[in-house]
Amino acid sequence: MLHAKIVDIKEKKISLSDAEKFISSNSYGASIFFTGNVRDQNNDKNVVGITYDSHDALVIKSFQEIYNEAEEKLNIDEKSVFIEHAKGYLNLGETSIIIGVACKHRDEAYLLSRYIIEEIKKRSPIWKKEHYLNEETSWLKGNPIVNEKN
Amino acid sequence: MKIKIELFGASREFSKNNIIEFEIKNNSTIKKIRDEMINYLDQNFDGNKDFKKIVKNSVFCTENNNIVSDNYKITKNQKIAIIPPIGGG
Repeated sequence: MLHAKIVDIKEKKISLSDAEKFISSNSYGASIFFTGNVRDQNNDKNVVGITYDSHDALVIKSFQEIYNEAEEKLNIDEKSVFIEHAKGYLNLGETSIIIGVACKHRDEAYLLSRYIIEEIKKRSPIWKKEHYLNEETSWLKGNPIVNEKN
Repeated sequence: MKIKIELFGASREFSKNNIIEFEIKNNSTIKKIRDEMINYLDQNFDGNKDFKKIVKNSVFCTENNNIVSDNYKITKNQKIAIIPPIGGG
């Protein structure tokens, strides 16, 4: 089971309780929750907030692909996964991403949680614009997406 | 034909409207779009090197949400998205 969504911060904040509700099941003995939060320092600059931008459809497509690959690459067929990423301006300490995973055993849950966040970093079209204490802003450089199709 | 380039991430700095429009020939390739964008930056941003680097390191995405190569031919009036280097989480 997969829940995948981009959430506009103007409409709602993403919440751990939503993740907990979605993945909760008596079939799974292990759950892991990962959150990414806005921190106050980056590259020696004082960060006060981050604007997140997203190509929503392509991001959801990438979340689905990553979820499906877990079966082939990690051999984890029974799982429940909740992924929400925020979009818009977030203040310090606010949560930009929640990944909740539930599997039968802890080894699978740890592996899956780590796999999902690392693949999102590589493949999901999400961008960050940092806002600094001196009122300057900067888009973070990021990594080019590898073009897979011809 | 007219083509709209939807801007994302750092490329949003290229236009306040978040879209750039170009007139191109039918069957033009993504490579042509990339070249047009470089021309646009030369004309409107004095060839800003950082902006040009963004275009060179970007991929392009069709309305069907497929990332396509520089050889991909555009055959109808459509919206193409530029996908600059990414980094969410």
